[in-house]
Amino acid sequence: MSMLGSYLTLAAVLFCVGLFGVLTKRNAIIVLLSIELMLNAVNLNLVAFSKYGAQPSLAGQIFSLFSMTVAAAEAAVGIAVLIALYRRKATVNVDEYDELGR
Amino acid sequence: MDWNIDFTGEFFAFFLLAVCAIAGAVLAINFTKVVHTALSLAFTFVSLAGLYILLQAEFVAFVQVLLYVGAVTILMIFGIMMTKHQSEGREPGRPLLETLAAIGCLCLFGILFYAIRSASFPAPEAALPEDNVASIGMLLYSAYAIPFELVSVLLTVAFIGAVALAKREEEQP
Amino acid sequence: MSSVFSQYAWLVPAFPVAAFAILTALGRSLSRAGAVIATIASLASFILSLIIAIERIGQNAEDYVGGIDWLRTGAVNISAGYEVTNLTSLMLVVVTLVALLVNLYSFGYMAGDGRISVFYAYVALFTASMLGLVLADNLAILYICWELVGVCSFLLIGFWYQKPEARAAAKKAFIVTRVGDLGLLIAILLLFWYMPGHALDFASIHNVFDTQSGIVSMSITTLIALLIFVGAVGKSGQFPLHVWLPDAMEGPTPISALIHAATMVAAGVFLVVRTFDIFEASSAAMTVVAVIGAFTAIFAATIGLAQNDIKRILAYSTVSQLGYMMLALGVGSVSAAMFHLFTHAFFKALLFLGAGSVIHAIHTQDIREMGGLGRRMKVTAWTFGIGALALSGIPPFSGFWSKEAILTAALEGDHPWLFIVGVVTAFFTALYMARLFFLAFAGKPRGNAEQAAHAKESPAVMTIPMIVLAALAVVSGFVQTPFKDWLGEWLTGEASSHGASGLVLVASIAASLLGLYLGWLAFVRGTLRPDAVSSRLPWLSRLLERKYYIDELYQLVFAGGLRGLGRALAVFDEAVVDGAVRLTGYSVRALGRLNTKLQNGQIQTYGLAAILAAVILVLAIAGRRFW
Repeated sequence: MSMLGSYLTLAAVLFCVGLFGVLTKRNAIIVLLSIELMLNAVNLNLVAFSKYGAQPSLAGQIFSLFSMTVAAAEAAVGIAVLIALYRRKATVNVDEYDELGR
Repeated sequence: MDWNIDFTGEFFAFFLLAVCAIAGAVLAINFTKVVHTALSLAFTFVSLAGLYILLQAEFVAFVQVLLYVGAVTILMIFGIMMTKHQSEGREPGRPLLETLAAIGCLCLFGILFYAIRSASFPAPEAALPEDNVASIGMLLYSAYAIPFELVSVLLTVAFIGAVALAKREEEQP
Repeated sequence: MSSVFSQYAWLVPAFPVAAFAILTALGRSLSRAGAVIATIASLASFILSLIIAIERIGQNAEDYVGGIDWLRTGAVNISAGYEVTNLTSLMLVVVTLVALLVNLYSFGYMAGDGRISVFYAYVALFTASMLGLVLADNLAILYICWELVGVCSFLLIGFWYQKPEARAAAKKAFIVTRVGDLGLLIAILLLFWYMPGHALDFASIHNVFDTQSGIVSMSITTLIALLIFVGAVGKSGQFPLHVWLPDAMEGPTPISALIHAATMVAAGVFLVVRTFDIFEASSAAMTVVAVIGAFTAIFAATIGLAQNDIKRILAYSTVSQLGYMMLALGVGSVSAAMFHLFTHAFFKALLFLGAGSVIHAIHTQDIREMGGLGRRMKVTAWTFGIGALALSGIPPFSGFWSKEAILTAALEGDHPWLFIVGVVTAFFTALYMARLFFLAFAGKPRGNAEQAAHAKESPAVMTIPMIVLAALAVVSGFVQTPFKDWLGEWLTGEASSHGASGLVLVASIAASLLGLYLGWLAFVRGTLRPDAVSSRLPWLSRLLERKYYIDELYQLVFAGGLRGLGRALAVFDEAVVDGAVRLTGYSVRALGRLNTKLQNGQIQTYGLAAILAAVILVLAIAGRRFW
């Protein structure tokens, strides 16, 4: 058992904590932050495999770079959407964004 | 279970950084003030950058600090400042939702943990080159040129879209 | 040469079918023209059947089988075919002749009815189905026609559906005969199962049960024979399913003559004759047939003694005479049974038409309100008298010869006591016919004066069929006498002349004459008081008047029992079945309410549901490894 298992376990812990935050937090900004945390957990997996995988290569690192870029774009658009929503509803509480049920 | 871990320097560093990352994440979930949460997550992101260095991914660690700790966290703090948060911590809790979410997350972690423990990973065939930032640069501009360009297009689109969305709408008559 | 006309036998039922189609299509606008069309069709059928029968007389004509493949599934092949034998050609003539005469008679009897074309359409459909039943070359086709005649019987009994009695009688007839039909259906299914090659045609049945006996086991043979007999019991009004036939007299009288005297009720006898090989293979079944037949004969005859409705007396007489035919079959004499069927068709149709003529004239069916009609309705009285004598078994009328044939067969059979039952029944038959005839036609009018004044002879269109039938009732007996067994030879193909038995001749003539004499004494001379028996033994006469309380017993046992069962089932239905249904509905509604609550528009709830579902899915798939 190399270090790989430990890294993967750490990533799983971070992912689950992020998931819990996404599911339970009322504040939309914290929800967005929790999503970032989950994405980071995935990146940790990618990088860990790039070193400790059966065939170490830089592809894992490059993948995590792309994933970070997409996450940055997602965060920017997410905040923009949130601000537009806030302007309309004057709240950042996720449980008041219930237009899906209408 | 097989816990035969060499207590090397790498393990010690990993342990320290992992504790920091988890503590930051858990604290972020527990804080009631949004700003505290954002800062706590920044701490986690920094810890992760340290882990990337341990994993011989110096460039990724650099990008992590630049992007997450710099850009994303600052963006979130801008978002916090542009919205009102007076009613924080005063809403009634949602015990059913929180209990169920806790059960679901714990089960998911159990499944993942079981899968990780029961999987057998072959030992790496070769080690990564020591200084690989230059190699990443070579790869990005040769083998991954097209995805790289596409990602730049995506970023531009996201940038324009964010501006368009966040722009104050004209008052409708 | 032998089958020149036989191969066109399928045309015989085709004519009435065409008439039925035309009458149904053109509807009531036809009115009397419809009657003419139906009568012409039945005339065509009659002429063709007569030609076929004449063609077959006097030569050893080959049986002709024709038809088409109807159902071919794998190894099973059911044909829709017809078979012309001497037996079927005889039945064709009887059916078409009575149908033709009844068609003619109905011109007068149904003249005032607004739905006369509907009536003729039903009669045409009935005639066609009856002819199909006679011609069918296998049990499947026979069963279809069997049900069709049942439906026509139902429609015609309930023809005057404005009368509640007619509706009730139609329903009763349909339901009671259904009991028998079920037996026949099971018998056919059993035959289909056990016959080699799943053959249902009569030729194969003859082969299997007559020449290669042993293919079907003894117990199954007995079971099949008894179930077929159950069907015959239902259709032919044998005890204990006789109860529908007297009630069926609510229908128009020509129908009583055609369906409930001459043809359809004889279908049961005909069915047993067609499948007689199965019965012959099982002595137990034969005994059952003989005993049921004999019991029905004497049982119905005693009921007939105490009835007052002219048509009901004749109905019980029909039941009794059908019992005679079954008795003949039970003791193994097909020719005697067919002979009695042949003569009975004529004289019983004649009696019904005569009764119809009386009813048409004075509009009552109660013989206590009749009397003295002989002087006013001469033709009716004479022809009715001939029919009564034929039924009573007075030589030389036809009924005597056929009854004598049956009694001879009973005496020669395994159970000579059946002969005694037959003779006693003959005595009762003569007695109730004497009572009926003398009360209706002799003496003085007992009804009100207005009725008596209206009593006049029916029109010629009604009397001519009666005269024709009367002539046949006189002469039809001579086709088979103890001295020349011509009909039996023709039907069975083997000379079985049994010769004259002095005992039978003397006993049957004596019984009949005694019955007539007693009736004459009681109802004409008055020396014997008619109520002598009823005053001394009131319970006996009430028992007979109430028809042995069979209807009441059925009402109590079957109707009451079924009603009780129905109530219990209703409770079960409401408590258990409805409860389960309500529980299902309630749980689905509760689930729906829960889902509505889940569908609250909040993305976190959806995400939670998705995560939980994914966890459960993974556990379910991966968890299979552990058990």
